[in-house]
Amino acid sequence: MPPAERKEPGRKWAVMLAVLVHLMFAAVLVFGVNWQTREASPVIAELWNSLPPVSAPAPKREPVVEPKPEPRPEPKVEPKPAPKPEPKLEQPKPAKVDIALKEKEKEKKRKEDERKKAEAEKKQREQLKEQERKELLAQVEAEQAELSKQRAAAAETRRQKMAAAAQAAALARGMEDAMGRISSHVRRFVVMPADVAGNPQAIFEVSLLPTGEVLNVKLSRSSGNTAYDNAVERAIHKASPLPLPADPSLVGRFRELKLKFRPNE
Amino acid sequence: MNVTQDLSFLSLITNASVVVQLILLILLLASGLSWFFIFSKMFSIRAALREADHFENDFWGGADINNLYQRTISGRTAVVGMEKIFEAGFREFLKLKRQGRMDVGVIMEGTRRAMRAACQRELDALELHLAFLASVGSVSPYIGLFGTVWGIMNAFRGLSNVVQATLAHVAPGIAEALIATAMGLFAAIPAVLAYNHYSHDVDRLATRFDSFMEEFSNILQRQTSV
Repeated sequence: MPPAERKEPGRKWAVMLAVLVHLMFAAVLVFGVNWQTREASPVIAELWNSLPPVSAPAPKREPVVEPKPEPRPEPKVEPKPAPKPEPKLEQPKPAKVDIALKEKEKEKKRKEDERKKAEAEKKQREQLKEQERKELLAQVEAEQAELSKQRAAAAETRRQKMAAAAQAAALARGMEDAMGRISSHVRRFVVMPADVAGNPQAIFEVSLLPTGEVLNVKLSRSSGNTAYDNAVERAIHKASPLPLPADPSLVGRFRELKLKFRPNE
Repeated sequence: MNVTQDLSFLSLITNASVVVQLILLILLLASGLSWFFIFSKMFSIRAALREADHFENDFWGGADINNLYQRTISGRTAVVGMEKIFEAGFREFLKLKRQGRMDVGVIMEGTRRAMRAACQRELDALELHLAFLASVGSVSPYIGLFGTVWGIMNAFRGLSNVVQATLAHVAPGIAEALIATAMGLFAAIPAVLAYNHYSHDVDRLATRFDSFMEEFSNILQRQTSV
């Protein structure tokens, strides 16, 4: 009897479940673990004890006297044209037609006059209004222009200040970086004495040649432990030449250094 | 070595060296296959257990053996497991009996051999791919470990080029190397668990098949001797 070709039951299900398990695993890896994705960038805050004077008027917002966009249209005063009652009057009293007509004429004229007058008045009023509006507009515009000029000036100075601050910060960072490199370079040569208690700080004043070679080392504040002070001093001499920053604009600041050391660093 | 601060999962993998990537790929394949076998074995072993229960119920429930045999050879359902053993044994038994003039011992011997063969075949089918699970379970941690060692070697070699060594130089390399170990363990742990579980299940089924064969032979022997 030949071994019959067996069909594994639920093959499709098995494939699907296997894929599902892997997807779940991948999801757990990607979303479940808090992978460190970004290094926290250093934040530079600048403290001013008084606001720059120029920027003072900027926040005070002029109450905007926006002129009303359009003189209100007043077409409603338009007198209604008269002819409406005419047909009614005509038929029953043919004799009085003339008088009626005349009177009507008169009436019409009067109305016409009134209308003209009203129109003229209105026109004048409108002109006046227009003028007023224009004046107001001009005034507001001028004020706004002034304001924006001031604001632009303030922004400009602020930007300059910010740029200066950023530059200073970059410089400071460069300095700090270089200092860190120097002290870690020196630290490599420190031979720790056996009995250092606590974590006292020793401060040295070091004068350097432009090439980074150590010219002179002076202990400016002892750590209280002479053995440690001596060890660091020896290390500074041994570490010569110290690594100076590559940036030539910084090198000038590295003639006199103040280096601080702690045993546990 | 360039220090990448971006430690997101994908960038860890894409920045890894080729060897580590290859190892990760192998482990992923192994893990995928082993999970596929885990699930397909789960289904087939469960089906075999259910079928055995069902058949034992029928068999010991007082059903006539001839009727049972007729049902199995009618071919309406695929015959597997215990039913298959029964069918093979009873067919052989009938054939030998029809030849007549045979010793009871000879008939029983032939019947048992037929049943044993069928039983072996069934067990073989059930045990298929279990060996794969076993080897994935035992080997993939080592493969992952190899990837990790390789990655850490690279990380430290890169470290030697840097003047001022900091932890930040090594950390990404080590992290990406450790992913290989994680992957290996992910492949291995379920495979080992499943292998142990399934081989135990198959063993129990084999015992059940064996005892059924014995009992069935007894029944047949009683029939012939009557």
